[in-house]
Amino acid sequence: MFIKKKERQQNAVLKRENAKKYKMGMGDIAFNIINYLVFIIIMLLCIFPFYYLFINTISSNELVRLGRIQLFPRDIHFENYIQVFKINGILEAFVVSVARTVLGTIWTVGGSAFLGYLMTKQEMWLRKVWYRLILITMYFSAGLIPWFINMKNLGFLDNFWVYVIPGLVSPYNMILVKTFIEGLPPSLEESAMLDGAGYVRSFVSVVMPLIRPILATLCIFSAVGQWNSFTDTMMLMPSGNYQTLQYLLYKYQREAESLATLIRNTQDANAIASAVTKQTSLSVQMTVAMVVTLPILLVYPYFQRYFVKGITIGAVKG
Amino acid sequence: MKKKAGTLLVLMIMITLFSLFQPAVKIYVHSQAGEGAGIFPDTISLMNIVTKEAAGLPVETIPALGLMNTGRWILMAGMLFLMIGVVLALGRKKGWIQAALVTTCMALGLLATFMVQLMNLSKSLLFELLLDEIQVWAYVPIVTAVLQILFVLLIMKDCNKLEIGDRVWRKLGGILAIGAILCVLLPTFLIKVPDSVTGIASDAEAMNRSVSILQQMLGNEPSLSEIAAEEGVFRDVLNGDLAELGPYYQDKANVRGIFQVSPSVPSVDLILAGSLVLLVIGAILAFISKADKWFPLAFFTLATILFAASIMNLVIIDDGDMYASAVRQLEYLGLGTVSAVPVVMLLLCLGSTVCSVMSVRTADSPYFVSPIPQKKMLCLVAVLLAVLSLVMVLLPGVEFSFNRPGKSKTVSAVMVSGVQALGFQKSKDVLQPKDSKGNVMYKSSGGGDTELSAAAVEDIMSGLLTEYSIFTWIVVVLICGGILALLKNMDTKIPVTLFVMAFAMRVVTWGILSLQMNRSIGSATAGIGLYISLPLLIFAAFIANFAYEEMLPRKYKLFLLLVPFLVATFLFSYLPLYGWRYALYNYKFGLPMSDQEFVGFKWFTELFRNGGHRTNIIRVLKNTLGMSGLGLLTSWMPMAFAIFLNEVKKEKFKKVVQIATTLPNFISWPLVFSFALAMFSMDTGIFSKFMLSIGAIDEPVAWLNSGNHIWLKMWAWGTWKGLGWGAIMYLAAITGIDQEQYEAAKVDGANRWQQMRHITLPGLIPTFFVLLLLNISNILNNGMDQYLVFQNPMNKNFIEVLDLHVYNITIAAKGTSSLYSLGTAVGILKTLVSIILLFSANKFSRKVRGESIM
Repeated sequence: MFIKKKERQQNAVLKRENAKKYKMGMGDIAFNIINYLVFIIIMLLCIFPFYYLFINTISSNELVRLGRIQLFPRDIHFENYIQVFKINGILEAFVVSVARTVLGTIWTVGGSAFLGYLMTKQEMWLRKVWYRLILITMYFSAGLIPWFINMKNLGFLDNFWVYVIPGLVSPYNMILVKTFIEGLPPSLEESAMLDGAGYVRSFVSVVMPLIRPILATLCIFSAVGQWNSFTDTMMLMPSGNYQTLQYLLYKYQREAESLATLIRNTQDANAIASAVTKQTSLSVQMTVAMVVTLPILLVYPYFQRYFVKGITIGAVKG
Repeated sequence: MKKKAGTLLVLMIMITLFSLFQPAVKIYVHSQAGEGAGIFPDTISLMNIVTKEAAGLPVETIPALGLMNTGRWILMAGMLFLMIGVVLALGRKKGWIQAALVTTCMALGLLATFMVQLMNLSKSLLFELLLDEIQVWAYVPIVTAVLQILFVLLIMKDCNKLEIGDRVWRKLGGILAIGAILCVLLPTFLIKVPDSVTGIASDAEAMNRSVSILQQMLGNEPSLSEIAAEEGVFRDVLNGDLAELGPYYQDKANVRGIFQVSPSVPSVDLILAGSLVLLVIGAILAFISKADKWFPLAFFTLATILFAASIMNLVIIDDGDMYASAVRQLEYLGLGTVSAVPVVMLLLCLGSTVCSVMSVRTADSPYFVSPIPQKKMLCLVAVLLAVLSLVMVLLPGVEFSFNRPGKSKTVSAVMVSGVQALGFQKSKDVLQPKDSKGNVMYKSSGGGDTELSAAAVEDIMSGLLTEYSIFTWIVVVLICGGILALLKNMDTKIPVTLFVMAFAMRVVTWGILSLQMNRSIGSATAGIGLYISLPLLIFAAFIANFAYEEMLPRKYKLFLLLVPFLVATFLFSYLPLYGWRYALYNYKFGLPMSDQEFVGFKWFTELFRNGGHRTNIIRVLKNTLGMSGLGLLTSWMPMAFAIFLNEVKKEKFKKVVQIATTLPNFISWPLVFSFALAMFSMDTGIFSKFMLSIGAIDEPVAWLNSGNHIWLKMWAWGTWKGLGWGAIMYLAAITGIDQEQYEAAKVDGANRWQQMRHITLPGLIPTFFVLLLLNISNILNNGMDQYLVFQNPMNKNFIEVLDLHVYNITIAAKGTSSLYSLGTAVGILKTLVSIILLFSANKFSRKVRGESIM
């Protein structure tokens, strides 16, 4: 640890010296300035919507409705966040969202980790056949309707487990794990097997700890995917059970839009707006959006390096 | 010697299985037909009960088995103490303190138990057998027991090779095993058929009485039938308000009651006591370091089974008002009053078999030398049991009957076989499921007034469906557990865990069902087979676990581990392909496949011939290709982003940029749309205000609600979301470029531009190429999330891409207008084109770069 730090310092010194050696011309300076500026603008473009949404949710709803909130919040209050959880069904949706994220992630990551591990076993009966059979599913899909009716036939309509169970096999994850395990020294597992551990045992106690980095990556991907998904709720929950936050957000947007259209059509915005007292459909929608975003915003910076790692490993295999 | 033992074992198993099919239970069936109303005896087997034939049984006539006195709670407490003691005893450390604790706990437990036993002694009728009318079910276990005892004796005899000390242990073990078997079997005899139905009172008399009561109930009493016709009454009755039934309620012993354990028979006590004894023995054995660990385990297993059996009877029936609630309680447990008896019996038979087989085990034990070619035998047994249990799980699906107290009719019952039930939905057409002959399965047998209200039916159905879907997953878990259990080197914990999971799910189901049943009339008895198959499977798993050593080559074992994944792949990826056949039908949602109209390739030709469809498809294709094309045209942007970002030498800034620009990739499209709504709404959005203030527009523009430039807008959002993310791969590729090249270039006097152009860019081109090809092959798959959330009536014509179009014309279009078959056909064509594109891209890549992209 200490040595590494020292090395880094030395490197930095070297770099600085190098930089001195090649003097910057005017062109370089201009390039740098423009380059930095462009990236700052891009960055702002990416961040601003989050900020804008946020200040809209904490500002006075009346001002928001009138479009007075632009760059800074005004009349800050947090009533929206308190009220939003009192809306019928939101808390439930939150629970469903969390449940599917947690369960789905565990299930998918556990499944693909074990599957990837199995696929590294050359001695398996007809390994290549099975491997290809699973791999090839990456490249085709039967289409929406057969998928939908298949889910229905399997009893997954209006069933919470539709969020979880079908994620067991993911060819992409399988490849990631397989590639990762193949990069490990095989001797560790062999010694475990010699000690009498079975496949499962050696997977759990030897391989799992070693592939933790890739598992973390998969966890993040799968969790984000689960958290963000809404079309499955839309299609597979016709009776409206087990709605997720994302889906509720989608629903509110639809409603907000129709409300907005209504306002325009009747040319009597005030009448309708006054009917919508404090919590406007816009404010509800935006607050829900914020509630949905917050977990990702909170988790995201810590796991950013895992994203990078994951996509890099994926790139190796293509 | 060995052969004999093996034969005995097989015989034992056979008999246990046989007892399932053996006409076992005598049942008095209340006929439902109006004129031939009456009660007549019928003998049916356990299997019959489980399957369809028994479905017509009036639930009301078969009461709960077992009772609960207050004294039993003391017994329960004693059991609890004992359990704690046993757990402590199984602990590894056996210090003095622990020993003292164990002893104290056991002593307390025993004391409590004996107290209760003494209290009950005067009342107990220990060996009361039903000799008036010999029932087959009574002697099946006896035969089994005799065989088992013989079996154990055989093993005991075969111990001459052992040292004297060991011989003693072995004999002791054998004796204990016999004791355990007897303990298991004893309570079986105590299930008593009440006199009113069989026994001392003649059948005819019982019948007459029941008939008269039934007749009165069926309509000679107008007020009653009037009340009963209303739903509310049923609910009241189910809630225990039996007073509604008036005088008939007083005579309940006749109407109900085939099996009734009379209050004086302490069968529950005995079961409890038996398990108690077993636990004590198990605990003692666990203390003996020399004893094989399977020994105590066998006893604990037995004790647990018995314990479960007694728990099932944990129903308090002290007086009549409690009767209904007790019945309901059993039903909530999913046991149904019908199934309680056979299940208990089977548990008992099974328990004794477990006991004997367990005591045979231990090939490596010095006390019990295996008398048979054990592995194969036991493997066979395990497989047999597993198969049997699976069959039982799959065969009887769901049985439910509608209670009509007051009418005392079982309206009907639906037996849904596993496959049928999988397709059940709550939609209207399925609410009247049809059997194989096309008859509607709900038959209201009494008359017009016994029809159930649609709401009630739906209630029940939904309960059953919840039950069933969870039930299906229990089965899946069980199968997984069974498969895993068959593997060598497998940790026993894994299958056991799975089984426990299955049980847990079961419990959840009970919870859900009971909630639902509270507000619906009728009762549901679901998955009787499950209760039988669960112990069977667990048993099979146990046997398999220790019998399967080195029976299966590693390669197959690995394959078996893979099987669940293959099954999942098949179910979720390959099975939908079979759904391509919907394109050949005029598919109507909800109808069974046999009722669909076959139209051949009509939809494919329609796509090109029918003007409306054709223009639609062309329009949608235009959108799809247009938007994908925009993406392709600008697919260099992430690369440029990466190259320029690489020129930023401040690592921290670089990191911050990366974090900020990849963030949009991790939010969902509805969220993006939220941003869009907030920022681009016509009147309030900041974008409009901004544009107005700089004078770019004169009046507010509906940015979102118009079809203008929608491709560009969609592209912009897509880029906003994906740019930083897309760059990551290039950034990774840049780190792979040899740094010395830059050094060399610098030495040669190359400036930054030249470095970027001649070193970085060529280094990234291969990655770019691969991604480009992949994008091209995905040109038709641009997903639907983005377009779905941005879609509105104004821009629909320009935003509808292929995926979204398929969704819009099928699932989103409710009712008759949905074109499922057309959607399927479009999907098929799309998949085919995509695959062709992918393969040609791959081939192209191979030709140009010598590398495949797949």
